[in-house]
Amino acid sequence: MPEKNMLEVNHISKAFGGIKAVDDCSLCVERGSITGLIGPNGSGKTTLFNMVTGFYPPDSGTISLNTQPIQNLLPSQICHRGIGRTFQITRLFWKMTVLENMIVPVRHTGWRTLFSRGVKRHEEERAMELLDLVGLTQYRDEEAGKLSFGQQKLIEFAAILMSDPELILLDEPAGGVNPVMIEKIMELVDDLNQQGKTFLVVEHNMRLVMELCQQIVVLDHGQKIAEGKPAAIQNDPIVLEAYLGSTNHAGT
Amino acid sequence: MKRLLSSNCLWITIVLLILLIFPWIQRSQYSQHVMVMTMMAAVLASSWNILGGYAGYTSLGHAAFFGLGGYLVALAHNHFGWHPFISTWFLAFIVTGVALILGWISLRTQGSAFVVVTIAMVFIFRIVALNLASITNGARGLTQARPGWAGVPWSPEFIKIPFHYIMLLLLCLTIFVSWRIRQSKFGLGLIAIREDEGKAEAVGINTMLYKVLAFGISAYFMGVAGGIYSYFFTYIDPQFIFDIFTGVTMVLIAILGGRGTLWGPVLGAFIMEPLGNWIIGTFGGTQIHLTIFGAILLIVMLFMPQGILPTLSEVIRQRGKVKLAKVPS
Repeated sequence: MPEKNMLEVNHISKAFGGIKAVDDCSLCVERGSITGLIGPNGSGKTTLFNMVTGFYPPDSGTISLNTQPIQNLLPSQICHRGIGRTFQITRLFWKMTVLENMIVPVRHTGWRTLFSRGVKRHEEERAMELLDLVGLTQYRDEEAGKLSFGQQKLIEFAAILMSDPELILLDEPAGGVNPVMIEKIMELVDDLNQQGKTFLVVEHNMRLVMELCQQIVVLDHGQKIAEGKPAAIQNDPIVLEAYLGSTNHAGT
Repeated sequence: MKRLLSSNCLWITIVLLILLIFPWIQRSQYSQHVMVMTMMAAVLASSWNILGGYAGYTSLGHAAFFGLGGYLVALAHNHFGWHPFISTWFLAFIVTGVALILGWISLRTQGSAFVVVTIAMVFIFRIVALNLASITNGARGLTQARPGWAGVPWSPEFIKIPFHYIMLLLLCLTIFVSWRIRQSKFGLGLIAIREDEGKAEAVGINTMLYKVLAFGISAYFMGVAGGIYSYFFTYIDPQFIFDIFTGVTMVLIAILGGRGTLWGPVLGAFIMEPLGNWIIGTFGGTQIHLTIFGAILLIVMLFMPQGILPTLSEVIRQRGKVKLAKVPS
């Protein structure tokens, strides 16, 4: 019986100089869930992502994936453990082709594979399947940098799937994307979730968060201020205050 | 292998054939000498390209490994009588070992900081070679016996020919390894590092391992070339072999021909090295060739910043497209 919680973040903190970006924050992501991470700008969501994926070492606290501690691993090692992420501002290998962008994340180990053929037949087939999923097969040989912003976002998302992660961290998947594309992304996430993938999603688009997520964590000033089901979060006075300011202040 | 043969099979064979018979049709010592130096420049630029072109880490300090190879081979020849043509292939592994350690340290820096660190590397090697006089003979340099085989020196008419073939062998090997890397997962990872190192790490590439490995592999060919070079001239000294200009030249050649491409550095070498020799031959041993190199580089950077080869292939591709487009009408 696998653990109920796939990702456990315990009391992590990260300060940049005097600014406490994340301050003694704990949260869990349940296996098979879509968990939302929301909060006003600068509340520490992306910093938390960067710690979970190994880009910043936390100042204190622990992070564990399937009960294994991962806070001291390299980003590449964490990726190999099964966490995939997208970036707030889409990052692709701009001058490489779409297909190459899909192939780079393929997990491989050992010296023999390192010097084996870069793009293998079965990898290419898998890449084409995933490109088909996001409807971009015709761009396989285009330079990634030449595609539109929304297409790049979809490619980044599809490329993450090439490494077959258990847990996928999406940093603002709907940011700057047109409404039709947002529908498409929501559908994709939902489908993949049905197939057993777990998601942790940072997003400002509240409709997406409320419709998609089963569990929501709210951060403000680096601290967790609320946690619960979407309906409960929507009516939580602390959350409303963090987002809109308190009614008292609004009057003055 | 199939791809290499099918795509460029014809012209590789032609160039290879020309290079194979070159010393027998060009009997002039001078031409033979220039050809050896040209092939060496191609080796240096191609192996620099593995790190500097594929992974995008501009090292100006690869002359350090070239010089180290030269010293190791000269010392082994003088002290143990090991023939440089054989020993250089093995001693270059020591160069690789040193490069792996230095790479592990220096590749923590990026961009211009890395460039500066690699420049420092050459000067450190030079200072060590100058001051470790009990081994390196300091500023007086190391002299080797006249090149020959089994105690019999080669005649002046023949002497360039063995060097021609060993350099050709090294060139083929360098290009082959560079090609293999370009086609492999390793090469794909290096290019991903060049494009976006953080992203590459995020999608599971152990960037440090890849970079250090590329550094070590490129240093190997530097070392072998340095060994052959020291025997070719039978004399090396620290000022001469740990020269920042050696490191800069190979970078210029690679950029000129097409950084990050397989054949660009080779093309660059076959343009620049003969040209440099012609300029020196025509205008005398002034530093005028440096001025001209600079001007050429400026022109290339302005009008074809990708280098000659990528620009040419783009032009050909566009022409092809235009032709194809015209056919139906």
